[in-house]
Formats: sequence, C-alpha cells, structure tokens
Amino acid sequence: MNPPSAITSTMPSNPTKLKIIWLQGITCNGNTHSFLNDPLLGTLLDEVEFIHHPILPAQKTLKEVVKKIPKSDILIFEGAYSASFERAGVPMETLLLALASKTKHIIAMGSCASFGGIFKEGAPEHISGILFDKEQESGPLRSMREKVITLSGCPAHPKWLSFVIDMIVSGKTIAVDEYRRPKALYSYLVHNGCLRNEYFEWKVDSDHFGTKEGCLFYAQGCQGPMTHGSCNKILWNEVSSKTRAGTPCVGCTEPTFPKSNLFSTKTYMSIPSEMPLGIPKRSYLALAGAAKSFHIKRLEERLIDDNA
Amino acid sequence: MITHELIERIEGEAVLDFKTDKSGIVRDANIRFLHFRGMEAILEGRNALDALVITPRVCGICGHSHLIATVKMIENIYQNAGVKIRISDKAKAIRQITLSCELIQNHIKWLYLIMLHESGKLLEKEPKVALKALYVSSQVNQLCALFSGQWPHSSYAIPGGVTCDPTYIEVMQALKILSEVERFIADEVLGCTPEAFNQAMSQNTLLSLKGDFGTVLRNFERLGLLEQGKSHGRFLVLGETQEIIVHLERSSASSDNVSEDISNTFAEGGNTYAKNALYNGEFFETGPLARALVQEHTGVSALHRLYGDSAVTRITARVEEMVSLCAHVRQLLTSLDLSQPSFITPPSIESISGEGLGIIEAPRGSLIHRATIEKGKIVSYSIITPTQWNLGNGTQTNLGVAQKAMIGAESIAKASLLFRTFDVCSVCTTH
Repeated sequence: MNPPSAITSTMPSNPTKLKIIWLQGITCNGNTHSFLNDPLLGTLLDEVEFIHHPILPAQKTLKEVVKKIPKSDILIFEGAYSASFERAGVPMETLLLALASKTKHIIAMGSCASFGGIFKEGAPEHISGILFDKEQESGPLRSMREKVITLSGCPAHPKWLSFVIDMIVSGKTIAVDEYRRPKALYSYLVHNGCLRNEYFEWKVDSDHFGTKEGCLFYAQGCQGPMTHGSCNKILWNEVSSKTRAGTPCVGCTEPTFPKSNLFSTKTYMSIPSEMPLGIPKRSYLALAGAAKSFHIKRLEERLIDDNA
Repeated sequence: MITHELIERIEGEAVLDFKTDKSGIVRDANIRFLHFRGMEAILEGRNALDALVITPRVCGICGHSHLIATVKMIENIYQNAGVKIRISDKAKAIRQITLSCELIQNHIKWLYLIMLHESGKLLEKEPKVALKALYVSSQVNQLCALFSGQWPHSSYAIPGGVTCDPTYIEVMQALKILSEVERFIADEVLGCTPEAFNQAMSQNTLLSLKGDFGTVLRNFERLGLLEQGKSHGRFLVLGETQEIIVHLERSSASSDNVSEDISNTFAEGGNTYAKNALYNGEFFETGPLARALVQEHTGVSALHRLYGDSAVTRITARVEEMVSLCAHVRQLLTSLDLSQPSFITPPSIESISGEGLGIIEAPRGSLIHRATIEKGKIVSYSIITPTQWNLGNGTQTNLGVAQKAMIGAESIAKASLLFRTFDVCSVCTTH
C-alpha cells in the first residue's frame, strides 16, 4: 500500500464534510494514538474534518472551542468523566454538556468514556463513563442516550471508530446492544477467531506462557470466551491480537474492566469458575468431561517440532 | 507582565506562566500540570502481575515503556527476595525490539506533528498534516504488534519472558517493515543516507540537508532559535547504563541519589500535580540527548561541543536516535535465536515478598518504577517519569531544565516552541 499523501488541516471549513470535535476527559491518550494507527486515515479525512483534535492539527484550539462552543456532526469523547475535571479551565459538567447538546452523534471512545474504565478506580464515587457508570446507565448524557454510540475497549480499535463514522456518513442506522455498542462489532467474542480454538474445543490447556500451543482459558486467566469484541476478526495493527501473541484477553471491552488477578484463572474443583458466555455449567461439564477423556496426540504435541 | 499560556497539542495539556519585560523577553516561566489520575494508588492492593495491565495505561504514547519498566521491576523483586528468575536472550531481545519501536514511532510523531508543524506555524507557513509520518508510525507499531499482539496497551512482557512465541513468519515481516521505515527516514526525514547524516553532524552542515528534519532546523534558524534553549548542561541516564554528565564531566550514577520534591505541588500549597525529580538535589536533563552524550555518539557529541545543549543539539539527538534504533532493531531481528524458550516459568508471585526497582530508557528518558509487594500483592508503588526530570518546576535559584531553557527567549511564542523541543507529555508527568 502506498503512503497516503498529505492533506491540509487548516483549510477553510468544507460544507460537505462531516465536522468532528474530539474532546478528552481523564485519559492516557491511548485512544488518540490507537486512532492514529489507522492506515486509511487519509481516506477518512476525505470524508470528515476535525474542528478540534487533541493531537492532530485542526481548525480550532481548545481555547477557541471553549470560548464559543461550535456546532458539530460528531462529538468523540475519550477518557473518563468527572463533573469537576477541567479542560482549558472549563469543568466537564459544563463543557461536555454544551458540546453534546450542539452535536448530532456522540461516540464514547474507549472503556473510560464508555464505563469509567481504569481511571474510575482512582475515585470511584466521582468518575464514570459519559452514558454508563460501569453497568448502570447513570452517566451525565443519559438524557441524550439515543445520540450515543459506545466503543468500549482499552483502547478501542481504529477500525471500530472508522466503521461508526462511515455508517454515520452513509446515513445508515447502527444496530446497538444493551450498552449501545454496535452489534456488528460487539456480537462477536474475543474468543471467535482465536488461533487456539481447537485447544479450547478439546480442553487442552497451555502448560505455561510463551508457547504456540494450548488454550489460555483454563489457567492463564483468558477472558476471551466471555468478552465481546472483534479483536480476532479485525486484527490489531492489521496483524495480531493479545491471544495471538499468547497474552490472555483481559476483558477490556466490558463494563467490569479492570477485574483483578488478570493472569490466572479462578477455578472451582479445577473447573474455571466463570463459564464461556451463555453456556450453562452443566452443558460445559458434560462436554469438557467427554473431550478430556480423549487424548488427541496431535494437540498434545508441539505445533512445530523444531522450535521455530 | 504575567501571561498564562495553555500549551495544547502535547500529550495532555500544560499551563505556562510567563513573566515578560517591556520588550516581551521572557524573564521567568513556571510550568503547571493540572491533570492527576492517581495511578499509583490504583495499583495498591492488587496482584503484582495486574500492574502489567494497569501501568501501560499511564500513557498512550509510551505505555509500552511502562510495561517493560514494570516487568523489570517485578523480576528485580524476585531477585531481591533471593529467588532465581531466568530470562532467555530471545525474550530479552524481543523486549528490546518492541521497546525500540515505541521510541521510533514517538520520535517520528514528535518531529512531524509538533516540531515541523509548530515551527512552521510561527513562521506563518502552517504545513499540511503529515499523513506520511502517521502512516509510517503505524507501520512501526505494526512491527511491534507482530510480537506484542497490539500497540498501544500490550501486556505481553511478563516475569520470566514474553508471552509470544514467534516464528520466522513474524521475523521476516518485521524485517520488511523495518526496511520501509529505514527508507522513509532516509528519503523523507533526512534526505540522505544515515552515513551522510552522521557526516553532516560532524561537519556542521545539517542545515543543508534536504529532508523534513532539515526544514525544521531551517525554521528554527529563521526564528533565531537554533542556538537558544540552553539549560544546565547536566545529563542523566539511569536505564541500561547509569551515568551522569555535569559540564562535560562523566561519572557513574546511582538510583539511590534520586529524590522526588513535592514542594511545588498542590499538596504543599503549590499549583501543579507534578512532582519534581532530582538527582543529588539538582535538575538533570534526560532523554535522547543525554543518551547520545553518554554513549559518546560522534556526531551528537561534535554538535554539543559547538552548540552546547541548545535546540539544534536536542532536536538532532532525537532524530539521530531514530536512525540508531532502526539499526539496533535490524541487528536484533537478524540474530534472534527462535529455538530458545520465550518464557521460563518463575515461582508463583504469591510466594514473593520484598521490594524492587525497574529502570528503563523510555522515549523521553529514564523511567523508574519501584514497588513493595507482600505475598504477591502490591503494598506500595511509585513511578518517576522522564518528564518529571525535564519539565520540573524549580525556583529562581534552582531552575528546572525546560524552565531554564525558556528564560531569555524573545517572546512567549518562541519560549513555548523551545518548551516543545523537550517532547512534552503531561499524562506521564502527573500520572
């Protein structure tokens, strides 16, 4: 693929392009840098323009935005919400509400904006997402819930964002789940498409980290079978995912993120205490018992026997 | 006159309080960071391995550095507790490859989005958004993800090694991406080969380089800033090697002499969340320039002799590091022995109590993680970030590094640009 050519950021506003404001709450900037990884950024910027973005050169500085709140088509919010948290000297309870009421669509970008995420842990009673506080729909934008699209994930994948923007540009309706996440992206589980699926089917666990073989669900704490996300369908950085790199899924797209003891599986009578999503324990036990009674030689051997 | 300047388009935001005289010259500059998230407190009480997931979220652009600092710290706790922990050369090399990628993409973004853009803006020639630079940064991050699974926010480095077990498919893809990145640096950044770039440093002919780096230097020259931005001439490197340089005198350093000063923070009646990091009670510059001088890099040292720690030397050192790191990654990729184990299982973390230290060289300089754990649980956790060294806010008699670099600038706009030569990150500074 050829690198895209440069575009002008400060050209006069173009009436045919959708106008976006990207605002940050309590954040690490991870979603901003995830977004910048989109190799088709140039094509996206043919369709939309940023009135304000925290890193990309844009039409207005934040100082100018707070002076005169502009109208926009899409407001992207990154980071967790706290009423008193200030940007450019303006508290979020004023700034977010003002920008939200002058936009058509709102995207909660990442798990902090969606549910509170990691930064909620710092002051749980004051910090939340913009629509949800963990599972509760009690965030500051609840009166505008229909405008909000949730893109949970720590960070959210750049293609998840460009998908939502493309759908808005095309005037299509985005089907959403109970947390207002696009079903097209979050109906899959991280487990779907994992290269270790066959080991899961035959209940072959991974002896230890750093191998190509075995499923990480039984001992290493993998939450892939109960986490919504298309990480193994739309690969990260176009090439990989946590589980493909042998790292357990940490469940970062769910309102419960971050749980504790992320690198070990909690078990009861040596069975994972949390079941794959929607699987009754009895069904799981029946199948696991049967699968474990067979020893499949191929799955117990190394995948590539000369170590490379 | 006192002016409060909001600095945007950094990682987060900062406020600079400038005191200027009648002709607009900056006489004093205070640096404030206002956003605090309490990362250290979030970690307390958790399983130590959870830190591998939490600490990368300190920072979106250098989170991988935090991961590597955390894993080295936990391994150090094992050792201090008298428990052997082994890491294969392969795992060490893979960690260095991915960490180097993070530095390279950081430096590219800084050069194009910040230096090229902001210097152009001051000359009223605002350039176009450098999509080519963002594209190549995404390629560097793709190289990283071949091993780490994703960038940003991977947790693939764990005590005992790495979780991935790459094949030659990943290695060959990585080498191909690296060739593209090297080509970009030669054709677009430098406008010449790395060898010619080294010569231009030694022969003081950098201003005639044709690439975008040359444009940045020419912009600085037109603004009269090339030789501005001088600071204390004190440098510090604590990751890999441990050395300081004070006015050209080199000596070995110890992390025991590092302290944090809270006198300027809100807790003590100040007006910032950032704590100052000090060595023997003094401010030191850390980062690419410090690393190049400690490694006695020929070209950067030659520039330093001519121009001291001014903007031209600081900017060139960061660009040079991209070049050196690409060569380093190539060497690591070509010598990777895939037959070694990726991971050697250490005893359970629940059996470990004690304290430890993890120091690494992150994009902006030395990054320190320190913790005490009890039976695998975090009792206390402390992070000192590179920007706490460079962007510390001192007093008139003991000025911070960037503070000193800004004082004397002809205008607030020029002082703000000099501030950005340090590659400002507020999320790391306050964490």
